[in-house]
Amino acid sequence: MQIYLPIAEMSLNALLLLGLGGMVGFLSGMFGVGGGFLMTPLLIFIGVPPAVAVGTEANQVVAASVSGALAHWRRGNVDVRMGVVLLVGGFIGSTLGVWLFTFLRSIGQIDFVIAVAYVLFLGIIGVLMVVESTRSWFRARNPSAPRRKLHNHTWLHGLPFKMRFRRSKLYISALLPLGVGIFVGILAAIMGVGGGFVMVPAMIYLLGMPTSVVVGTSLFQIVFVTANVTFLQSVNNQTVDIVLAMLLVVGSVVGAQIGARVGEKLRGEEVRVALGLIVLAVCARVAWTLVATPEDVFSLGQAGEH
Amino acid sequence: MAERRLALLICLLAFIPGAQAQRLAVDLSSSEVAISTGFSGAELLLFGAMEGYGDIVVTVIGPHRDEVVRRKERLMGIWVNGASVTFKGAPAYYRIAASRPLHEIATPEILDQLEIGVAEIELFTRSERTPAEIIEFRKALIRNKKRLRLYSEDIFDIKIVRDLLFRSTIPFPANVPIGDYEVNVYLFKDGKPISQQTTSLPVRKVGLEAQLYNFAHDQAPWYGAIAIVIALIAGWLAGVIFRRA
Repeated sequence: MQIYLPIAEMSLNALLLLGLGGMVGFLSGMFGVGGGFLMTPLLIFIGVPPAVAVGTEANQVVAASVSGALAHWRRGNVDVRMGVVLLVGGFIGSTLGVWLFTFLRSIGQIDFVIAVAYVLFLGIIGVLMVVESTRSWFRARNPSAPRRKLHNHTWLHGLPFKMRFRRSKLYISALLPLGVGIFVGILAAIMGVGGGFVMVPAMIYLLGMPTSVVVGTSLFQIVFVTANVTFLQSVNNQTVDIVLAMLLVVGSVVGAQIGARVGEKLRGEEVRVALGLIVLAVCARVAWTLVATPEDVFSLGQAGEH
Repeated sequence: MAERRLALLICLLAFIPGAQAQRLAVDLSSSEVAISTGFSGAELLLFGAMEGYGDIVVTVIGPHRDEVVRRKERLMGIWVNGASVTFKGAPAYYRIAASRPLHEIATPEILDQLEIGVAEIELFTRSERTPAEIIEFRKALIRNKKRLRLYSEDIFDIKIVRDLLFRSTIPFPANVPIGDYEVNVYLFKDGKPISQQTTSLPVRKVGLEAQLYNFAHDQAPWYGAIAIVIALIAGWLAGVIFRRA
């Protein structure tokens, strides 16, 4: 069943898109991640122009995170104050990011930058995940091994503009969450992701937030930041394909529900190792596109480029 | 069926004295290419009748626009886009079909003048690169366009029946650029074009596809806002449905 995507200006099989959404949704439900960092490269692999893949994925992440954000909000798992500071950073970062995206697109380097960003982040996150979960797997078998200190004092805690975040039981410089927000915002705009895979570790290890509020607060900020990216990509680059986004949303919400149920039955460490390996596989595939000799070293610029 | 009826009509037209003076009558199986939800490419039939023997050449030229050709260069083991050349007003689509190999039909000068043949497509650039490099980029543009099936050469695609009727197909891939196309039919006799007919052929999006595309480009802020609202509602709805289930 071929369907014509009006913004991507190409025809793809609707069942393939639903299946892709379902598969990534399944993984994201099972592992409790957004899935944007898997979906965007997969869309590019099946031939969607990278700019459209990124813009559309931001729109899909809005849909994928809103119900989770609401659920955490109801349970009081959102540190609103922290969320707002992250959000201010997120707005600054994503606006900068879309501006950068538009510029890179005009000089023909956006595909390259997207690929490099993916190799870099998927590589780092994948390795960290595999190492961390293998280590904790060994720790579970050998409980006498020394534990890592959760909260270290560094120069980061000497920064000015200290703010009290009651919900997180923290008294830290507002510049820290602001900086995290800006960084994640830039990633959201350039990679078409929510950025949870960077924000969650940053919240735990850098800001020292309690894990109970980390997921809720990160989802809260992701909804608004990806909404901002969707808006700015629509205005600046016209790269948000609503038809494509909706097909992916339908597939992914169903997949996520099944994935969440399967995930409950699995052990934490094993699940994290598996996710780490999937992330590394996608990383390797993207890296291959950068180093492999292209079929034709010449290529055509996309319509709309100058 | 429609095809046969058209052929019959053209057949009859060819014998009407007034029409014979034109020496050439052409029609297409459709007056436009409409891109709708199920669009996965289209094929149009071109029909015609001609007076006496001769050779038929058909060119289809898409909307003119700027095409950027980039060359990747290897930088520390990684392929990066390097030099680029912009060709002004290059046709987004080009198709040529003929009843015989072009060099048997007319001299290169005549073919060049009429922009007949992929090698004859007019590609203009202000680039200051060396002529040899520009030729390389020009070849790359044509090669890439051919790979996307947006440029095509099909020499024996035109069937001539009893020196009177001819037909040809014009394929449009799913990624066909929208805009105004020009279908040119030439009748050659003894190496000279003695008759020509040009038909305009719009390629456009229709229905929901057209509305969404125009909306996204003409009212981008509203499009963005609506994309967000739809995503919020879809996400929220999914949460509600699955919580109940």
